[in-house]
Amino acid sequence: MEECTARQRLRIYFTGVGGQGTLTATTLLAGAAMIAGLDVVAGEVHGMAQRGGVVESVVLLGGWRSPRVDFGEADVLLGFEPLETLRGLPYLRLGGAVFSSSDPLPPVGVSLGQAQYPELAVIEEKIRQIAGLCKFLPCRELGLAAGSAQSGNTALLGAACAAGALPFGTDVLERAVKNVLSPGIQEVNLKALALGAAA
Amino acid sequence: MSGTSLLDGAKGERRLLLGNEAIVRGALEAGVHVIACYPGTPSSEVPDTFYRMGGEGRYRMEYSVNEKVAFEIAAGAALAGAMSLVTMKHVGVNVAADPLFTAACIGLPGGLVLLSADDPGCHSSQNEQDNRNYARFASLPCFEPATAQEAKDMTRAAFSIARELQQPVMLRTTTRISHMRGPVEFDDLPRAVPLVEFYRDPDRFVPVPAVARKRHLALAAGMEKARRFVEGGRFILTRAGAPQCRAGIMASGMARNYLADALAAGGWNDCAHIAELGVTWPLPVDALGDFLARCDQVLVLEEGAPLLEQSVRSLVQRRGLALRVEGKDDGLTEQGEYSTTLVMRRVASFLGRPCPAGPPRAVEPDLPGRAPNLCPGCSHRAVYYAVRRVYGDEAVYASDIGCYTLGLAPPLRMADFLVCMGSSVSAGSGFAWASGMPVVAFIGDSTFFHSGMTGLANAVFNRHNLLLVVLDNGTTAMTGHQPNPGMEQAALGERALHLDMESIVRGLGVTECARVRAFNLKTLMKALRDMKARSGVRVLIAEGSCALYARRLKKKPSRAAVVIRQGEGAQRCLKELACPAFYRRGEELAVDPTLCTGCMVCLQAAPETFGIRER
Repeated sequence: MEECTARQRLRIYFTGVGGQGTLTATTLLAGAAMIAGLDVVAGEVHGMAQRGGVVESVVLLGGWRSPRVDFGEADVLLGFEPLETLRGLPYLRLGGAVFSSSDPLPPVGVSLGQAQYPELAVIEEKIRQIAGLCKFLPCRELGLAAGSAQSGNTALLGAACAAGALPFGTDVLERAVKNVLSPGIQEVNLKALALGAAA
Repeated sequence: MSGTSLLDGAKGERRLLLGNEAIVRGALEAGVHVIACYPGTPSSEVPDTFYRMGGEGRYRMEYSVNEKVAFEIAAGAALAGAMSLVTMKHVGVNVAADPLFTAACIGLPGGLVLLSADDPGCHSSQNEQDNRNYARFASLPCFEPATAQEAKDMTRAAFSIARELQQPVMLRTTTRISHMRGPVEFDDLPRAVPLVEFYRDPDRFVPVPAVARKRHLALAAGMEKARRFVEGGRFILTRAGAPQCRAGIMASGMARNYLADALAAGGWNDCAHIAELGVTWPLPVDALGDFLARCDQVLVLEEGAPLLEQSVRSLVQRRGLALRVEGKDDGLTEQGEYSTTLVMRRVASFLGRPCPAGPPRAVEPDLPGRAPNLCPGCSHRAVYYAVRRVYGDEAVYASDIGCYTLGLAPPLRMADFLVCMGSSVSAGSGFAWASGMPVVAFIGDSTFFHSGMTGLANAVFNRHNLLLVVLDNGTTAMTGHQPNPGMEQAALGERALHLDMESIVRGLGVTECARVRAFNLKTLMKALRDMKARSGVRVLIAEGSCALYARRLKKKPSRAAVVIRQGEGAQRCLKELACPAFYRRGEELAVDPTLCTGCMVCLQAAPETFGIRER
């Protein structure tokens, strides 16, 4: 378990599908790091985000200057969709930690029967070959239990935090929810955070 | 944090900002009066933030119809003494290049800053040109921030020097800078900054040849002043290595960050003298010469073209230094982006040390792709489907810049070539002329106003032969729904006036012009067949709202398509329409009601297959 305990200097890679709220989760985590008094830099690639493409972003803590994570550099990979978690796996360093949603969003090629979605067991096996810690979470279910499917992302952050993969506690994430998110969705996200941390 | 305006916040306050938001704050702290732009990733959050804030009387901003016009608006305002900001993506500067060069020559008293947001790696662009070339080409001081804090501070400094020299200044970012988030410490916003008073001086501001020759000298003198500012300024950071050290590393832009992280990760902080350049034109040749004199070998790190490297090589030659210069090679190429690991490997080999980076990792092979796609309910899909039904592979399809470029993917395959904004009409005309083949050109509403109108005028004037389909979705969809002249008056509000596209098309002399609803397949296909039977310049304006924009306005769809009969029609729609709301359940077709917008194009394409479900 030594591999998954948080270092102060940490590179986190987020991946998901356009419209899932990947960038909001990124801002939330970066905001939490600010509250914790950590040096933080984050990076996003916009542009095609809302058209069903892959959305990637990064948060680097503890004094990194570059808002970018390359292959083999990420200490933590947060995947909001299992296929994208697998696609993002080369970014993880050997022994890094993976937290991923277990709810597939099939790409169009799969929906139309032109491509095959990999089995979850296969995805998990490939991740375990690289990662020191791998946790799948039913984010959609947890999100819905909290009050909205979207808040499943926050549940995933809660799980990563509770597993000790982030250099601050869930209390800091709670404060970030109150600081960063609009008042109307704070309650739901606080609930999702707790559900994720307990999962 | 997220809901707070950049017009609030006093000295000492620290906020996590997007690089582009930091530029906005920097411009506000400088006292910017006028902002003009044409949106384009990765620059768009700068004007969008100004637009959302409204200005509260501090500034005026506009979405211009293209970058050349935006530059001229800002240049005119700066001639009138206003501090002006003009923003665009890298390829936009090509469009604005004409006024840019002359503006540098005559000089702009109020102070103009040009934001050029470059895109190494082509995250959302048709090329990865390095616009630092323009700074050298046109003689513009060039600031290149590497952090969000610098994005703010350098914007402010850029305005200050633009005003002092009365010359335009370039602020050059890349995607990684524009879209990074980092802490930014604020300064106070100034009280209103006065305009520089205008004085008539045609001997300066009207560059007939006799004036232009004088102004070229004035420009050179201004750049020499700028160099002296850079020599002593705070935007070159040098750090000495260990005393016996004879190795130097120079970096600019994002490469500065990768270098800093690589040095820290490798434990090499003392192993080389470091020079980080925040201003990359004009170069502080005195300071750099002194830096180089302390080195036996130097490594230059810069993404894109080897501009700094070439300057260093020429400086080494002029100073007669015996020095090995390293830079671009098989690892550090002119293509794409650098990264910490890439720089670490290169620095390790430069310093002759083992590299602690792990073995290279490979892409996971054979995963199903997730390419960006036209949305469910996108009006472009309806038009593309109809055009393919009418023209098939008979026509050659000239595409343009916008969401609709995504129609190149199968099964629609509606793009055979693309050059740049507005090229569908003119390159389409040229192609039809030379090949004799039927050409169908596609252009969006914003792109039509950007540079489609001139090509259309030319097509009429020179009696070209093509069908231009205007994919009018009523907004600038690709870059985030910015206003354009085609947008409805209600959406534009009081700040701008709606222009009627059909009147413009007819006013340009097009006699064969029809306006149809994109989601009505029957009338759309009839109009296409009519147009196909004719020759000359024909324009079909297909109107249908952007589905994403409708969703942003919280317009909830009232109905959804549902499959009522499997069979040939279902399989055909799956194959030819390929709406992302479709999915396969075993061998059967189904429609995801959470994705369906109720556009009912599928129902018109295969009435026996689909039904309507009210929500």
